[in-house]
Order: sequence, then structure tokens, then C-alpha cells
Amino acid sequence: MLRVSGLRKTYGRTPALRGVDFAVPPGSLVALLGPNGAGKTTAFKCILGITSFEGGVEVEGLSPRRDGKEVRRRTGYLPQSPAFNEHDSCAQVLEFLAELRGADRERADELLERVGLDEQRDTKTGHLSGGMRQRLALAAALLSDPALLLLDEPTANLDAESRRQFHDLMLELKAEGKAILLSTHVLESLDQLADRVVMLERGEVVLDAPVEELVRRPGGRRFVVNLNGTDHGRFLEALEHIGIERERITPAAGHLEEAVARAAHEYEENQR
Amino acid sequence: MNAAATIIRKEVRDAFAGRWLLLYGGLFAVLALALSYLGQRNLGSIGFENFSRTTASLLNLCLMLAPLIALSLGAGAIAGERERGTLTYLLAQPVSRWEVLIGKYAGLVVSIGVATLAGFGIAGLVIAAFAQTMEVTTYVLLVVLVLALVAVMTGLGILASVVSSTRVQALALAMAVWFFAVLFFDLVLIGMVSAASLDGAGLLAALLLNPVEIVRVLTVIQLEPDLEVLGPFGSYLLEQLGRTGASLILAGALAAWAVVPVSAAAWLFYRKA
Repeated sequence: MLRVSGLRKTYGRTPALRGVDFAVPPGSLVALLGPNGAGKTTAFKCILGITSFEGGVEVEGLSPRRDGKEVRRRTGYLPQSPAFNEHDSCAQVLEFLAELRGADRERADELLERVGLDEQRDTKTGHLSGGMRQRLALAAALLSDPALLLLDEPTANLDAESRRQFHDLMLELKAEGKAILLSTHVLESLDQLADRVVMLERGEVVLDAPVEELVRRPGGRRFVVNLNGTDHGRFLEALEHIGIERERITPAAGHLEEAVARAAHEYEENQR
Repeated sequence: MNAAATIIRKEVRDAFAGRWLLLYGGLFAVLALALSYLGQRNLGSIGFENFSRTTASLLNLCLMLAPLIALSLGAGAIAGERERGTLTYLLAQPVSRWEVLIGKYAGLVVSIGVATLAGFGIAGLVIAAFAQTMEVTTYVLLVVLVLALVAVMTGLGILASVVSSTRVQALALAMAVWFFAVLFFDLVLIGMVSAASLDGAGLLAALLLNPVEIVRVLTVIQLEPDLEVLGPFGSYLLEQLGRTGASLILAGALAAWAVVPVSAAAWLFYRKA
């Protein structure tokens, strides 16, 4: 379905991707992990063929370089921060994109219902919450019934309930045979959602393994965590306390706030 | 090509939803009517001037307003999308870069063209109903030339939009083009004539560098067959090139101005991938 081999991309003299390899078979979900600046969004842009790159990318046997439009028709993309013309209603956004993607307009209504936005059909996108915009973008990504879905931080703006609904939808889409590449910082439920985990660091794949293997590994799961101003020593204590073995700490700014907050909270609770 | 047509339709809808174009079309109509009415009043009678007089009065207004709106809207086309974060999303759809650029360009030209035609049309209908003589040709010719100028200036606006990283930067660049082409070019030309002792051929070559001046001279050629208003330069045009020759050269240059900036914008937009 999606095969990436030796993918390289540089911005000026700065390498963003340094020979990345991974694959996403049909009916599977691969989680793309890594700190900010690791190259996740750049990898998405290369797969979509909207930026130049070196190396190989194939979507259902098609190259984004030669068959960019067809690759994009077969790929649904949900950006990290979906932005729409704020004067357009949800229905207008989907109708425009349906026309571009060669999809029926009726499908727009069907998808609005599927993502739970049927009541916001005529609401201007400028009045939508971040989570609603994310759901609208997901509906847009599904318009042409694509074989491949590229989801860039899809749950970043969602509350717990919306996140659960989103996870259910991902499982449905997987069951329908779609290949899903999902970049995320939120690790919650990843073991139930993902089949493989690909971890990028400074444009290189530092880990590509099935989720089960990670869970089975001695020492538990392994994640690279960037601390955004959080005290390193205190965080290490928290990790050790909840049994997460430390393998690597990088000084760059980053996120995974939820994991950090949860670990720190559990640590403090146990200290009392 | 279907994708470009879809983007054109969206651009037209968005342009009119923004209300700037309605204001522009309305302003055109009101000013055209006012110029026609006041022109006749100054001649000692009440009513509307015929089309030829109105055309002459309208020329300067058109050469200021049409480039202003075309450059401003063109400047926002790509830089605005980039700033709002919608450009990457649009490019992630099954469209090619040139379809996005051409769709946006053509959508804007159609939108501004429709607003211009509506403004001219309303004024034209009123003048036709009340003027004592009817000479529609020059009026229609002015409309056609203004539409051509809109196509040129929208292309320059889009070029500014592609090379700029923000909407403000694009707008500043577009306004610099407007100030130079509409306000300062005459002064530069006068300076060049006296400093470099430009002859008729040199003056014509310099004039071809500014699409606003090309439209001005083309309109004058149609309005004043003896080109007296252009002074010695008018005599040069008549003697060396004739009315038809001069018109062809100027029209060819205007066509080049319509094609080159938008082609450059498309090439640069493609290179930015």
C-alpha cells in the first residue's frame, strides 16, 4: 500500500529526512512517533508529493513524483492544524473538496454524520472548535474513499470523549482495509490502535517494530521523550518510580506532556 | 483542468463574499455617472455627456482604480492562503500546483472583470438612456482595455504573492508596483526624456515597460485619431508606425504583460515545491 525507501529531504543545507524506510500494509495502522522537528510532517508532505524529495515513495504502486494527483486522490490527509476559509460552512467546505476529489456531493452529508458533525452542517468553520475542525478535516480526508490515510496529530485538539470516538473510527477504518499512517505525541491507547511503531529522530528511523514486540520487550516500552522546560531529574525519578526504564534523554524541546504529567502525578501521589 | 475550473468557481464565490468587489463595481458606476453628468453641466447644459466624452473623463479613473483592486486582490491570493495555513491543505488535494495558481488567477480576473463590467454597464445604460448622441464604440473599447489591464495587474499581484512569505509583504510589494506604474512613471519618463534626450523610439520603448501607460496611449489612439494630445510623440507614432502599427505594437506588449508575470508566478510557485 505505502512503501517508503531511502527517503531523503533537505531544506537548504539542513537535512530533514536522512534515508527513511518503512511500509504501511493495507488494513494496518502504523504510528509515526518522534519529537518536534523529527521529520514526521515532512515525511507526510513527501508522500503526498507536495514537496521535492530523494529516494522512493510508492502509494499503491504509484509514485508521487510521476502521478502526484492520482496519489493524492488515493490518499486522505488530515493536517495537524486544519485551516479552512472561516466564511465557508462545513457543507461548503466538503462540497468544494468533494468536487476536487471527484467524489459525490451526497458523500459529504454521509461523512458529516459519520464524524458527528451533521448538526453543524451549515455552521461557518470560523465558529467551530479545534476538535470539530479536526473532525471536519477527517471527513474531508475520507471523501474519495482513499486507500491510504495520513493523519498528522489527529487527536491533539480532542477531549477524552472525542479521542475515544476517534479511536473507534480508526479501528473501523482499519477493518475496512485502509492503510493508516498516524503521527502522534499522545500515546494513550496506541497499543490497541497501532500495528507497528516507527520512531523518527532527527530525520532517521531509530525504531521500527510491532507494538506487541515493544510491550513484550524486557524493560517495557521505549519512548523518546523531549522535556519542554520540565526538570530532567524530577522527571527521571518519576519514570523510574512507575517502572519505565530510562534509555535516552534529549535536551531538545518537545511534548508528550500527557505522559510526563501522568508520570509526575503518579509519582507525587505515591510520595504522599 | 476540472480542478482549475473548480478553483475558479470557488475563487469567484469567495471574492464576491468579501464585498470589496461589490464596493469597487458600485464606485465605478457612481463615478462614471457623476463624471458624465458633471461634464455636461460644465458645458452649460444639464444631462449626460455622450460616450466619447465620458470615456475620456473615465480614462484616468480607470487607470487608477482597476490596477489598485487587481494588484491588492492578486497579492492576497497565494500569500493569504499560505498565511492562513490553507495552502498546504489545498495542495494536498488531487490538484497540481499550476492548476491552483491558474485557478486562483483566472478566478480573480473573472471576479474583478464581472465587477468592472457591472460598474461600466450600469453607468453605460444610464448614459445611453439620457445622452443625446450615441457613440458606444470608444466606451466599449475602454471597457475591453480596462479588462486587459485587470488581467495584467492581477498577474503582477499574483507574482508578488508567490515571491512573498506573508500577505503584508505581498501587499506592500503590490502597492509599490501601483505607486510606480500609476503615479511615478510619468515623472520618471519626463526625467528620462530630458536627461537621456530620448527620441520617439526610445520613448516608445520606455512606455512599453508600463502596462498602465500602454492602455492610456491605446485609448488615446482610439479617441483622438490625430494624436495631438500626445504632442511630438503622437506625431512620431503616426509618421513612423501609423495608427494601426502603433496599436498593434502596444496591444502586443499588453498581451505580453498579461502572459509573462503569471507565467513567471507559475514557474516560481512550481519551483517552491
